[in-house]
Amino acid sequence: MAATSRRWSPGRRKRQAWLTAGLFLLPAIALYLVFAFIPTIEVFEYSLTRWDGISPNREWVGLGNYDRLFGDRIFWEAFFNTVEWTAIIVVINVGLGVVLAAVLARKIKGRIFFQTCMFIPVIQAPITTAIIWRWMYQPNGAINEGLSAIGLGFLTTPWLGDLTTALPALAIAHSWSTLGLSIVIFLAGLQAVDDELYDAAKIDGATPIQAFWYITLPALRPVTAVVFVLTATAAFKAFDLIWGTTQGGPIRATEILATYMYKRGVLENNYGYGSAVAVALLVIVTLAMAVYLYMQARRDD
Amino acid sequence: MARKPLVYTLLTLISLLMLAPLLMTAFTSLKPAEELVSPPWVPPLAPTFQHFISTWVDANFDTYFLNSVIISTVDALVMIVIASAAAYALTFLKFPGKPIIYALLLAGLMIPPTAIILPLYVTEQRLGLLNTHLGVIVADLALAVPIFIFLMSAYFRRIPKELRDAARVDGATEIQVYWRVILPISTPAIITTGLLEFLWSWNDLLLRLLFLTQDNLRTLTVGMLFFQGTQTRDISGLTSAAMIMAIPIIIIFIIFQRHFVQGMTQGAVK
Repeated sequence: MAATSRRWSPGRRKRQAWLTAGLFLLPAIALYLVFAFIPTIEVFEYSLTRWDGISPNREWVGLGNYDRLFGDRIFWEAFFNTVEWTAIIVVINVGLGVVLAAVLARKIKGRIFFQTCMFIPVIQAPITTAIIWRWMYQPNGAINEGLSAIGLGFLTTPWLGDLTTALPALAIAHSWSTLGLSIVIFLAGLQAVDDELYDAAKIDGATPIQAFWYITLPALRPVTAVVFVLTATAAFKAFDLIWGTTQGGPIRATEILATYMYKRGVLENNYGYGSAVAVALLVIVTLAMAVYLYMQARRDD
Repeated sequence: MARKPLVYTLLTLISLLMLAPLLMTAFTSLKPAEELVSPPWVPPLAPTFQHFISTWVDANFDTYFLNSVIISTVDALVMIVIASAAAYALTFLKFPGKPIIYALLLAGLMIPPTAIILPLYVTEQRLGLLNTHLGVIVADLALAVPIFIFLMSAYFRRIPKELRDAARVDGATEIQVYWRVILPISTPAIITTGLLEFLWSWNDLLLRLLFLTQDNLRTLTVGMLFFQGTQTRDISGLTSAAMIMAIPIIIIFIIFQRHFVQGMTQGAVK
């Protein structure tokens, strides 16, 4: 009898609920805490120290690394390169993405086929993109050969070797491998638009361009915010494509925050300073994502 | 209706432009040495698999390929189990502290892996996980599990509560309900989770570059990075390496296309 009453006591039931839930949650939460959440806190801690990653004692330097960071010309160069790189990618993915989605949203035969063609680059690894585009951008590569073949030979240049073209050229390669996703997200947003609106506009004598401007674009405003933030954060934290092509060069023309962090932190074993760069990257991306998730939550309500 | 041809021309042109880099890579990888002088957009006249064979055997791509397959497969399978289990608890079970777990996982959606590689490296080193596939797998799982828990929860919430309650009344334990009732009707969410995790794992470079320094443990992504660093002039080698990397993922994509597109859109819009 005692056993039965104990089994149904509230305390025991609560413990039981905890135990069952804990069993289900444990593998995911334990892995997440050890290999994602705690390292995220530690990167802030590291950034306040001077440490080579090996010696047992870390030297506490307070905000010294940040002081150095703000006066570091190369850091600012990497920062503004990251902003420029992100801006180019966002403009291409949002601009071209909207237009292509609007065209693909029409009821045409072979829609899925075209959509697939545009989505196949999205599933490629950034390192595959790096190898392919580095080869195409070579002085005698596909881009220059193609320009010469259509009579634009005067535009040929060593794309990745030139200080002014290297960063935009790589941004285009990044956009190539992400545009398909932007298109598909825009398409999902367009499904919410009532077809009758277009029919009504047609009857009123609106041109397709007018319909695009007054119906499609306003309807896409919420989705545009989604594509904007996702494209920007993905670009901001990118590493593989640049590391697989120019590694930040020529000189520092394509140095972005991720490559600069890698060089200082990993290659030079400067864990403190590398972490300060990482914190800059972390704070910017996290803030953007937080704003985005907040917007999503508000839209769902 | 006169505009239709214009739309088709435009779409065909853009599709070709989007596929051109991969098509030219495929063409070049199949060209015998004497054809390499022809422009990259000209298909090979006498296609040969010679470059694939030499990259596969001489440049160790057989090992890299196997390592990639092992890591990505384990990643995908384990992710399905741990993400669905956690989502089950968060959706169907009542327990104290649930909001804290939610907040923790929400923070996980915002963490850019690139920014935490330094402490992550030290953690792996302390646990003796450097130069093991396990080390890469646990990091992959940890960094992506929040996204998949939310994806699975969104699916589970659409399952009628009565289904679970009925099974519980019949005397099934929570684990039995999860494994025998909920999982079997969640195939779409399971496929999406498995595919996306496989893809991300297959494509990742940074973690593998840091954690795997022994050549026999490396994945395709790391192998490709070093291969292109040493063989900058070997166009046939580079293009065939890129194709070895791209072909499996394109095949999987074409089979599961709907799941890929839907999953990636949901992950973005929701």
